[in-house]
Amino acid sequence: MEQMEQIGKHIESLALEVVDLTPENIQAMGKMLNILSSIENECPENASVEFKELAIAIRGYVEQLTLGEIKDIGILSQAVKSLQDIFRYMERGENAGYDQFREIIERLKKGSSAESEEAKEESKNKDSCLIEKASEPERSLSPEDIDLLQDFVSESLEALSTVEVNLVGLEQNPNDTEIINSIFRSFHTIKGVSGFLNLNKINKLAHHCENLLDRARSGELVIDENVTDFILDAVDVLEKMIESIQEGVKAGRVSEGDINVKPIIGRIESITQVTEQTGQKPLGEILVQEGVADQVDVDHALDEQEKGENKKLGRILVEKGAISAKNLADALHKQRKSGGKNIDLQVKVDTKKLDTLVDMIGELVITQSMLRQNKTIVSSADQKLFQTMSQLNQITSTLQKTAMSMRMVPIRATFQKMVRLVRDLAKNSGKRVRLEMSGGDTEIDRNVVDELYDPMVHMVRNSVDHGIESPEARQAAGKDPEGVVWLRAYHRSGNIVIEIEDDGRGLDSDRILEKAKEKGLIDQDTELSDSDIYNLIFQPGFSTAREVTDISGRGVGMDVVKKSIEKLRGRVDIESVAGKGTKFIIRLPLTLAIIDGMLVRVGKERYIIPTLSILESLRPDRTKYTSVHGRMEVIRVRDKLMPLVRFEEIFHVSCDSKDPWDGLVVAVEQDGRQFCLLVDEVLGKEEVVIKSLGSSLMDAKGFAGGAILGDGRVALILDMAELCQLSGAGLV
Amino acid sequence: MNLSITILVVDDFATMRRIVKGVLKKLGFRNIIEAENGKTALSKLKKEDVGLVISDWNMPEMTGLELLKAVKAEEKFKDLPFIMLTAEGQKDCVIEAVKAGVTNFIVKPFTPDTLKEKLNAVFS
Repeated sequence: MEQMEQIGKHIESLALEVVDLTPENIQAMGKMLNILSSIENECPENASVEFKELAIAIRGYVEQLTLGEIKDIGILSQAVKSLQDIFRYMERGENAGYDQFREIIERLKKGSSAESEEAKEESKNKDSCLIEKASEPERSLSPEDIDLLQDFVSESLEALSTVEVNLVGLEQNPNDTEIINSIFRSFHTIKGVSGFLNLNKINKLAHHCENLLDRARSGELVIDENVTDFILDAVDVLEKMIESIQEGVKAGRVSEGDINVKPIIGRIESITQVTEQTGQKPLGEILVQEGVADQVDVDHALDEQEKGENKKLGRILVEKGAISAKNLADALHKQRKSGGKNIDLQVKVDTKKLDTLVDMIGELVITQSMLRQNKTIVSSADQKLFQTMSQLNQITSTLQKTAMSMRMVPIRATFQKMVRLVRDLAKNSGKRVRLEMSGGDTEIDRNVVDELYDPMVHMVRNSVDHGIESPEARQAAGKDPEGVVWLRAYHRSGNIVIEIEDDGRGLDSDRILEKAKEKGLIDQDTELSDSDIYNLIFQPGFSTAREVTDISGRGVGMDVVKKSIEKLRGRVDIESVAGKGTKFIIRLPLTLAIIDGMLVRVGKERYIIPTLSILESLRPDRTKYTSVHGRMEVIRVRDKLMPLVRFEEIFHVSCDSKDPWDGLVVAVEQDGRQFCLLVDEVLGKEEVVIKSLGSSLMDAKGFAGGAILGDGRVALILDMAELCQLSGAGLV
Repeated sequence: MNLSITILVVDDFATMRRIVKGVLKKLGFRNIIEAENGKTALSKLKKEDVGLVISDWNMPEMTGLELLKAVKAEEKFKDLPFIMLTAEGQKDCVIEAVKAGVTNFIVKPFTPDTLKEKLNAVFS
């Protein structure tokens, strides 16, 4: 009976605590909680159900009281008295009248929940007060506030930079809870301080990051590269906001900058949601995304599902006729796939290793083709050998494709950098511009992506600055005051195509023409097609902008764009409709490691001309050939006079055919200059792997590199730009 | 309220310490010392005559709860008022701290008024 005695003592001290309990006395509540826990733990097994239940109910009530969720302490003394009563019954071994205590148990449970609703309501009101406060545009700052804010800025930035370092550590050691906790702490403190300083956006974002890390800490979420990316993005946004506070403080005000934190918060929330569903996207979300079902229908169905109709969401939707059974099957398939995506494992590899791999596979392909062309093999009648050869062929080409794809990265990141740019540009120019992107998953060579950034920035600037009109002008033209810039990427016939389109005013061909004449870029009486006129904007020193803004319109830009794209062996075209908009189309080779070229023979030598620069090849009529003073040779190709370039003059390699009408000429274009190359023969079109000529041949002008051909011999790849300079053809 | 007591503010984030200090100074307290985690807090407690501890929950080295338990374990500090700062949504932590004998707790983010209120509750 020692046990009962002990509990009796507990109950007595509990009653003592209750007597002078106030809602503020946290310590007393702590004592009560400890006593109640002891009672629960030491409670004899034969104790009545009501006794245990009452003890638990009281503890629940005190906990809520502690947390400030409820305030009424009146009921407690009655509850404790009841506990004493039951205890006395138990001591005496009586078993009657326990039902009378049911009521107080229910009241403890119910009363608390009702009041907590009230408390919630209250806190909601508090929240809305907070929001109202936050929308006060600017607060005047006391010197103390400024000190605080400055400290906050420097300390938060420091904390964020440790987050970055820690994230890298975490990638190597994903289960290190100490690292996770340290990242958590950084966000946690930023959240705490920003909340105190009324920096609501920072507070919110930090709060979401904290939640994410909290889930990681508890093992609910695995931090993979995807999550790390989100966190890093969030860190970037936080840094930006903190920096704008820093700037604001200098001007004596508080401003978090007008960064919209909703998208990133939405993304963070989406990861937490995705992981909740065992790594799969919710079905409803997929259906809506696919455009199969309305959000309204899905919401309805979800409601129904919640109401307890034990049916699958898809089934409800099909029965309601919102979607067809086939739609459902497709969506379910997608869902399974989306679930699988998350478990793709990744390994980080040094790019150098990757380059070597691609290089070696290039060699392998060549060796394999040498093997195929080997005389002994070609003349062999062995069926088995041919089978093995074709199998080898298949394997090498798959290998080559895989190796190439390893160097590929989605263009999404580059696209996403444009979002900020468009926003800033639009804001600076007082325009309203929306950026729409598609094909972000399109993959492109890692080396190309970096080079592509600057030209894209130029073109997007061009679209926003010169293309999109002011909201007033748009409205006057009967357009939506908000302009749209589209970024698209897709693969087309072995090229990657990137389009930058706007629905602005379009290019003004008359003005371009006028300007070009004014600048002396073309003759006064030149007749040009529209597309030729548009191409004029790629000429150096050309700009039609009437005003010079700080971002674009200085007359540099588009020629640089064209040069950089051509450096990547790509080309850029313009389509434009006056009043409707302009579209820049960039075509790029999938990779820089392979070049699509035309193999030509000149005497005993073979050269590769990049297909991109070739206009056409032809055998000219004797009448189309003219020579000026017996020196400058010209060929008329489709009513255009093009200088003839002989390899003899540049490389001292003589052609078998001395006259153009005996051989062939290949008309090429480089930087807007067109000229013809005299060759003996066109051997065919080939994709070759480019090899650098190495440092000892650095000075050899006119070549982009070398390539090993199928027969094992080397052909040189011509560099059209250098060739153009060497020949002096550009001077015409 | 005795404004001449020494208050120990424990938080690993200096800005938070500064904020708390600022509020305390506004309320008229003059003697405020700081510690960046539970360990240094304990050693400072032993050296100085501290009249109140305000500590964060989540800190490296030694958490606020560990500090609280260590403080309460010493006869000398048994009645030393201890206010814990916790984050919202950490109800379990609050209950744990309360059971460990915390004098009061403040849920972050908080306003100067809340801190004042809690101080009044502690010293009344």
